Amino acid sequence: MLIDALLYDGKSSKEHKVTIEFSDNRRVVIRSHNIDVPIDEVEIESRLGNTPRVLSFENGIRCKSIENDKIDQVLKKFGLSKSKAYKIESSIGLTVASVLVTIGFVWFMLTAGATYTANAVASILPASTLKEVSKVTLNQLEDSYLHPSKLSDRQKRIIQTHFNKLVEGESKYKLHFRSSPEIGPNAFALPSGDIVLTDELVALSQDKEYRDILGVLAHEKGHVVKKHSMRIAIKTGISGVIIGYITGDVSVLASTIPTILINSSYSREFEHEADVHAVQELKDMNISTKYIATLFESLEKKSAEDGNSTSMSMFASHPLTSKRIEFFKSYAN
Amino acid sequence: MEKEFKYFEFKGNAKEYFRIWIVNIALTILTFGIYSAWAKVRTNRYMYANTYLNGSNFEYNADPVRILIGRIIVVSIYILFIVFAQHLMMFEVAAGIAIVAFLAMPWLVRQAVSFKLRNTSYRHVPFRYVGKIRDFYAFFLLHGLLNIFTLFLAFPFSYVRFKELILRHSHYGQGEFNFKGKVQSVYEIYFSIIGWIMLIAIAVTMVVAFLSGIALESSGMGIEEVLSSGMVTGEDVSVDDATTPMATGVASLLMILIYLPLIFGEKGLSDAYFSNYVRNHTTLEGAPFRGDINVFKLAWISISNVFVILFSLGLLYPWSKIRYLKYKLEHTSFACHDYEQFESFGYEKGSTVGEEMMDFFDIDIGL
Repeated sequence: MLIDALLYDGKSSKEHKVTIEFSDNRRVVIRSHNIDVPIDEVEIESRLGNTPRVLSFENGIRCKSIENDKIDQVLKKFGLSKSKAYKIESSIGLTVASVLVTIGFVWFMLTAGATYTANAVASILPASTLKEVSKVTLNQLEDSYLHPSKLSDRQKRIIQTHFNKLVEGESKYKLHFRSSPEIGPNAFALPSGDIVLTDELVALSQDKEYRDILGVLAHEKGHVVKKHSMRIAIKTGISGVIIGYITGDVSVLASTIPTILINSSYSREFEHEADVHAVQELKDMNISTKYIATLFESLEKKSAEDGNSTSMSMFASHPLTSKRIEFFKSYAN
Repeated sequence: MEKEFKYFEFKGNAKEYFRIWIVNIALTILTFGIYSAWAKVRTNRYMYANTYLNGSNFEYNADPVRILIGRIIVVSIYILFIVFAQHLMMFEVAAGIAIVAFLAMPWLVRQAVSFKLRNTSYRHVPFRYVGKIRDFYAFFLLHGLLNIFTLFLAFPFSYVRFKELILRHSHYGQGEFNFKGKVQSVYEIYFSIIGWIMLIAIAVTMVVAFLSGIALESSGMGIEEVLSSGMVTGEDVSVDDATTPMATGVASLLMILIYLPLIFGEKGLSDAYFSNYVRNHTTLEGAPFRGDINVFKLAWISISNVFVILFSLGLLYPWSKIRYLKYKLEHTSFACHDYEQFESFGYEKGSTVGEEMMDFFDIDIGL
């Protein structure tokens, strides 16, 4: 078989047009340059798309040819085909399989993989680190959004008693009463077990014994137990690495977009998980879920009345709230 | 003799590269990252081999095994650092690792420059780098201090000196590169970039404000609420309410619409300005290079690529990469009267640690 090629002697940038002959006795012959060597002494580069293929000879000479198909035939004939990567790249089935492997891997890392890693990391991370991180976050919030609580001692006592029962003496959980007109009726949990409850939420309670607030606290404990903050952080990190690798660009894209996507799309799943946890806790404490359902209803009503005046106004427009009310009602006896 | 400029040609195509890219990723996943070294070589080989000048193409000659060794060394150092700093809480050891890595930086940068050049060849004649390690230490010490004291106002000056350090010690065969650039032009480039970015920022903000005005009107939300809800979830806190998903959705969309054109517009603009600048002041054995990249065209390619990547969930990344590279290369030219005059000094081997360190921390030396 004859193929056209360009020859470079490796000493200068001079280019020579040559014809390479692959003879049946496994020899490579270039008559114009007195080359006649066994094919095993020639290093033939693996195929890469339709780029010119390099053939390296032992004396430093290199030839380049774009007759890739002919070279493949020669290699096949002498049983020398070895480019596995090109085989995969040129097969439609295997390319599709590669797409599926990649998508599957990314999906796994963002779901089960992230949960598994989060648990693993959470068990390695010393409690002191979690505490430190949470403390910094809480301090930041304290400075800008949180003010001392104006609840009466009686109110605090009742809620604190509920809380103590809920956490069964586990010392990492701490309840903080705060007032926050900026945040409005709300409660949130930090990974350390610090739970913040706003006066504004307590004000909406319709139960004198604050069993609805207990429901909210149980929900917050759910966030801590299920390590939601950690899972968000890890998923953000993992997707950052993935986006960075795929786009070859560890920059803004990789660092901001996952945060945004994950915060908005995963919070639904996490809220539901925490709701399920709350239902279980309430059941164990023999308290009906109807109280928390009622609290959610008044939240919904309040936001409808207030119009756009607080950030809770979005509560009303969101269909999810009614779904969550239904969820709690379905467990109320 | 009138010089004839010849444009570089890029023959890579998105379909071919897509297959190489996706197989690279899949094999990297299946081999727990080991294949990544081969993936890097295949990607670079593909890009170099498709780059033509005067009818001949370039060659990428790096050995994947050496790249793998470099990667293993870099990742091991990084893991050691993390383990000491965050798990064993042995901050002295972690600080020691960081200081050694910091002190090695100039040496590593030189290694990375040298690695890139000596693994590139054209017509079977490799490029090479002869800059001295002590010049790199002198450069980083001097210009590091200078920029700290001038609050980086001297950066354009340092930029020109760095390009001199790189290009004046680069060779193709026996052929010597030279770079003569004015510092003043670099200041002008920075002013242009800042000016255009401010204009883009104003334009984008106006469009976004107009669009979000319509969107919020119909959903009955005020803009402060949307933004503030985005801020609260931005904290490391599980905010308890059902309102967040939709609100953060809208807020994040706003952020994306504002930030991405700015950041990637800036990337495209600077790349175009600086590529042109370097090309137009560089010669090889007296033969000049020329860059006539349109800065707005490249900024547009950069911005639109990001949205294409985003909306295709990454799958059109190969298309966008080819598009960008093709435009840049095909607006680069070189005027040489004799392509056969270069004599090879042979291929050298050397450490890959510098190259992989720069790769790992995503530092672009920009050759």
